Amino acid sequence: MNDVPMKCSKEKKLREAGFEDRMSRWLILEDGTSFQGIPFGSASPGYGEIVFTTSMTGYVETITDPSYRGQIVIFASPTVGNYPLWKGKMQSSFPSVSGIVTRDAHAIMHSDPDWIEFQNLLSRHGIPGIDGIDTRMIVRKIRDRGVMKAIIKDDPEPPENWPDPMERNLVSEVSLSTNKFIQGNGKTTYLYVDLGTKTSLMENMLAIGSIYTVPYNFDPDSVTVKYDAVFLSNGPGDPSHVSLKPIVRFVSDNIGRIPIFGVCLGHQIIGLASGGKTEKMKYGHRGVNHAVTDGTSIMITSHNHGYAINRSSLDSTDLKMVQWDVNDGTVEGISSRYHRLMSVQYHPEASPGPSDGSVFFNQMRKAMEVQDAQK
Amino acid sequence: MPLDRSIKKVLVIGSGPVVIGQAAEFDYAGSQACLSLREEGIEVVLLNSNPATIQTDHSVADRIYIEPISVDAVERIIIKEKVDSILPTMGGQTALNLALRLKREGVLDKYPVRIIGTPVETIDTAEDREKFHKLMLEINEPVAPSARLTTRNYESEISNLDIYPLIVRTSFSLGGSGGRILRTKEELTVLANEFFRVYPDEVLELEKSLEGIMELEYEVIRDNAGNCITICNMENLDPMGVHTGESIVVTPSQTISDQEYHNLRDSAIKVISALGIRGACNIQFALNQETGEYYIVEVNPRTSRSSALASKASGYPIARTSSKIAVGYNLTEIINPITKNTYAAFEPSLDYITVKIPRWPFDKFEVERKIGVQMKSIGEVMGIGRTFEEAFFKAISSLETKESKSLRLSVSDDQLKELIKTPSDLRIYAIIEALLRRWSTSNIRQLSRYAIYFIEKLKNVTDKLADLSTGILPENLRELKYTGIPDSLISTFTGIPETEIYKERERQNIFPVYKAIDTCSGEFFAETPYLYSTYDQESEFLETERKKETVIVLGSGPNRISQGLEFDYGSVKAVLKLKKKGFKTVMVNSNPETVSTDFDISDILYFEPLSLEHICNIIRRESPCRIIIQFSGQTGQNLAMQIREIFGDDIFLGTSPESIEAIEDRKKFAEALREFGIQQPEFVTVTNMQEAVQAIERTPLPVIVRSSFIIGGRAMDIINEKEEVYGRVTSLLQERPGFPVLLSRYVEDATEIDVDFVSDGKSHVISGISVHVEEAGTHSGDATMVLSPDLPDPQTGVKIRELVGTFVRKYNLKGFSNLQLALKGDELYVIELNSRSSRSLPFVSKATGVDWISVGIDAMVSGVLHAEEVHPKSYFVKIPAFPFNRFLDLDAILGPEMKSTGEGMTAGRTLEEALGKALRMMNVHIRNKGSVVISVSDKDKPGLLEIAEYISAMGHKLVATPGTRHFLKENGIDSDVIYKMEDVREPRIDQFISENRPDLIINTPNSRSGSIKDGYQIRKLAIRKNIPLITNLKLAEAFVQTLKAGEKSDYREIREYWEEP
Repeated sequence: MNDVPMKCSKEKKLREAGFEDRMSRWLILEDGTSFQGIPFGSASPGYGEIVFTTSMTGYVETITDPSYRGQIVIFASPTVGNYPLWKGKMQSSFPSVSGIVTRDAHAIMHSDPDWIEFQNLLSRHGIPGIDGIDTRMIVRKIRDRGVMKAIIKDDPEPPENWPDPMERNLVSEVSLSTNKFIQGNGKTTYLYVDLGTKTSLMENMLAIGSIYTVPYNFDPDSVTVKYDAVFLSNGPGDPSHVSLKPIVRFVSDNIGRIPIFGVCLGHQIIGLASGGKTEKMKYGHRGVNHAVTDGTSIMITSHNHGYAINRSSLDSTDLKMVQWDVNDGTVEGISSRYHRLMSVQYHPEASPGPSDGSVFFNQMRKAMEVQDAQK
Repeated sequence: MPLDRSIKKVLVIGSGPVVIGQAAEFDYAGSQACLSLREEGIEVVLLNSNPATIQTDHSVADRIYIEPISVDAVERIIIKEKVDSILPTMGGQTALNLALRLKREGVLDKYPVRIIGTPVETIDTAEDREKFHKLMLEINEPVAPSARLTTRNYESEISNLDIYPLIVRTSFSLGGSGGRILRTKEELTVLANEFFRVYPDEVLELEKSLEGIMELEYEVIRDNAGNCITICNMENLDPMGVHTGESIVVTPSQTISDQEYHNLRDSAIKVISALGIRGACNIQFALNQETGEYYIVEVNPRTSRSSALASKASGYPIARTSSKIAVGYNLTEIINPITKNTYAAFEPSLDYITVKIPRWPFDKFEVERKIGVQMKSIGEVMGIGRTFEEAFFKAISSLETKESKSLRLSVSDDQLKELIKTPSDLRIYAIIEALLRRWSTSNIRQLSRYAIYFIEKLKNVTDKLADLSTGILPENLRELKYTGIPDSLISTFTGIPETEIYKERERQNIFPVYKAIDTCSGEFFAETPYLYSTYDQESEFLETERKKETVIVLGSGPNRISQGLEFDYGSVKAVLKLKKKGFKTVMVNSNPETVSTDFDISDILYFEPLSLEHICNIIRRESPCRIIIQFSGQTGQNLAMQIREIFGDDIFLGTSPESIEAIEDRKKFAEALREFGIQQPEFVTVTNMQEAVQAIERTPLPVIVRSSFIIGGRAMDIINEKEEVYGRVTSLLQERPGFPVLLSRYVEDATEIDVDFVSDGKSHVISGISVHVEEAGTHSGDATMVLSPDLPDPQTGVKIRELVGTFVRKYNLKGFSNLQLALKGDELYVIELNSRSSRSLPFVSKATGVDWISVGIDAMVSGVLHAEEVHPKSYFVKIPAFPFNRFLDLDAILGPEMKSTGEGMTAGRTLEEALGKALRMMNVHIRNKGSVVISVSDKDKPGLLEIAEYISAMGHKLVATPGTRHFLKENGIDSDVIYKMEDVREPRIDQFISENRPDLIINTPNSRSGSIKDGYQIRKLAIRKNIPLITNLKLAEAFVQTLKAGEKSDYREIREYWEEP
């Protein structure tokens, strides 16, 4: 009631204070609110669905995670870029986000070469950043009203229309693998369907087997090696997008014929292929602190998903929910009642986040050992 | 697993008196534990000898034993109360050690009682260095590599060894030095050759030195099903080599990568699982960021200081959750009480930064300011902000020290360099000073080994401070506030008073917003208003309609000598009472260790510095409201006039600021006493050197010199020599120019009396009259106090009541006050009056069984005074705990300058029973029939006879220095001689103490003004050797009385003492 403070036009006040020169960038939300902040990264505009992550570490992993394609990411954690870029693990060869929103990005204030590196990476790939923003305010807004569209640009004019980036074929923008065999550890060969994979996921798979990578729209006839199982990677966007129909059909055709595994978007594709449904969540799970349980014990897992498998839609399928989110009951892990099929919604490869979920890779390996034994 | 129904009555062991290394954090942990057990319908029996904590209040535990924390007491309680379980992980090392002893001495096997929470075996493994290292090797987790060299193996060992730099320790102390750091094989070879030539039978212990690399901590909780979560991690700004309790700590970590963060998290969980912890624990790591290597430094298998900090920093109630685990629950069954919408099974995410800075007693003690592996700080502050700068400078403004106010150090560049290099409380100020002198950040990093990130962040602030000029109100005030710079610093650097800066902010409408700490970075809706301020856009928990009247209660800030958790007890009780009365309660405090900063005590918690700026911002946000400053110690008293300048008189509940000033200003007060015709020690006040010279020449010695507006007798001393008087007055005048300094005659051999009372401006009720064992001149916080049915004598009682009545009327005292008197013959002298809650009030409350805080709140808020004076039915003793073993360079004598860190309480059916328990609790006893060393000043000799006679008659051999021995001999008491230290004859006293380990040393200082070298050395030796020491003859007399009465004592629930036997 007494907090008139920063509520009136921030723009005006900052001008009085001589911040003017620095506050030359705007973040404009679909609902009409706009925020003025300090620019960093690229000067070109960034457009996308605005989402938040609550992870306190891993800014490098986050901006390079292909699952964020089509999205502007708000860091709930106020300080970003406190440690040099090279200490992070790039999750793809370039950042995928459409833009980043921060409260106190250290990177922009300093001339140290490590920090300049971060700035350059964003600039090179046309990704704008906006700093000095009340990120918590936007997080709370999204929590209450759900995700919305937003733009970061260097003038305060809102765009004429707000196309939904989720309608784009986002997977095609980040599914970059070609048909290729990569030798790993172990006897199993996985057909690795790259839906926009994170590097760490691929590394973890190579620790339990060899992989044959294919892009999301691969032609099954083009696969020249014999594989023992299918693995579907993480990726961006809506699993029910029309561009993913062929891969859903491919999975559906193979259920029961060959073991099938998946993570994140791959998990959702498996759900659809089994006859389940997916749905858009109000504001998704993006963070590294979610507890997932199988009913007896818990794991703290890394999440990045805006869609989920509809829980009750599993009733009419052969699938059972084997793991769920402790807080909101979201389907986090499924397996087939009859076949060698399992997938998880969370990120067992972490990066960023805790490695509690990495047991999933072991479970896959064990499932394949059983397969071998049966041969 | 749900609640274990077989647990019906639990004994919770507290941590006892506040000492360095074990302070207010257990007030928080223990209280939360008790409350969360009672929530489950479990009956809680508490053993804690600390009267100052809210834990020993029946609002927290069902049955309370304020008795020494001993195996004896526990056994007695097991029998009397028939408890089925004991929870020892909430009372620090004291409680853990007791649990281990209970196991070892078979008490646990003798009765149907078990330890709940982390098992004793786990505690043992975690605490035993060797067992712990062995376990770490088994699970393949790194500890600092070590080696043992013997005559036989050392040559071959050295040739294979590659753990440089290393610390070398001998199995016995080499020339009194501790560890030595060696950097090369050559150095080690030389040392080993030499060493084994001289000591062929000895062992050299080597350990890789981790000094200088980064130190981190993780707070982990593990439940009965083996589920583990980490609550948060903490990054120490000070690299390894400085105890984490002595380090500046930031949460969450700022400079480690995701991979480093989670590698350590994985390791923490692995270690905690292998140990089998059930509940909370803390693990410390050393991380070499260049190589990525890490080492496990230590595990604390219990809630610790870090748990308190992590709880307050993350919002996650660690002690509460871990108590629930102790009684059977798992994480998925416990609701997160801060959101009330999610489960305890998750890891908090923070969207703010917290910075903890320790509070050291160097403003009180003139001792070595270097810090290291041993703790010297007694409290801490936490600052919260959206940027490091904001959080850090909030912490700085919460410290209330000379340096935190001025920020600048006037030292040469060379001295500055040294200060940055060597860990001490001044290091952070030295870094800031260097930045203000435009030293490069990389140079400062080289010297301090602080991460460059933090130095750069500080530079953001110093760059702006350096641009400020004297007398000019900065044009970029908004930008300065946005950067996180406190009003107080803007005031320091411009010379413009803080009140003016506040008014200017009001004109320009520059105010912070308030955001919530919710454990989840805003991801879920949280119902609990645990708030901090920041300069951002959106404010949370804004009141849309006014339902209740609002009262703000100020807390007392960091725990420090003279202002400790006894004030927190008051604020918590006050808040609870106000809630009951239907008010909306608002708490403001900056101390992460206390109960008052638990989010579920007040209706709204502002975790903010108790500085004018923040208090005013909060009043403004909450207005219309009123404010209570009587529980904030001297902090609130000092701010009263400034708050009044902005908000007027009406905002205050309790005694008015004008009266406070009239009482606090020693000159005004002394003059008023004259006017009222009340007796006081003769005095003069001076405000400049000229006046001082005249005054000193006129005043007879000994004198007490003191400054206005300072609590805890800071800068007070009884001085016998003129030269020293000059020195002291000069430095006080320099330190606080314009503030009067008072010289008063010291009334020798008087009895000091502490009177606590509650009043409503017209009438009053005495809460308690406590009589000191030591003569007047010993600070009231350091004195052993007795509250008894028969003290003081009735005539004195009448006089005291008259005095109190006079003060209440003259100053319109409302709420709580404390009056200190000296009684000589039948003359009463007024020493001091404080119009606020006192240190002794919790003791008095617990001795009389009256909730005096409630009474005072009623008087203050509603103007009703309904309670009646209660005459104690038993004998109660409050005895101080001293930090002498932490500061060997501090003389263990008592004077008007307060030195104790905390206090214990005991009770008995007789004075001797209570006093005997109290003295034994503080290690004053004679265990064996060995020798007792006596060396007292001439003044004390006459009083010594009865003491010596009795001790001698008990069969102890008396050993005395020549003067004392001569006196004893003249009076027919035999003793052996020992010589003073400078003597050439033997045995010298130091030799004797070292070699013969006497059972008790009675040594009183020769000159009251300071430490005469010889006595000082004796006392120091006694402390180092942990030999019972008495430095005050009155206390020695009391001790002998207890010996005469015998050791018979029982342990009783505190309520029993409130009844006639």
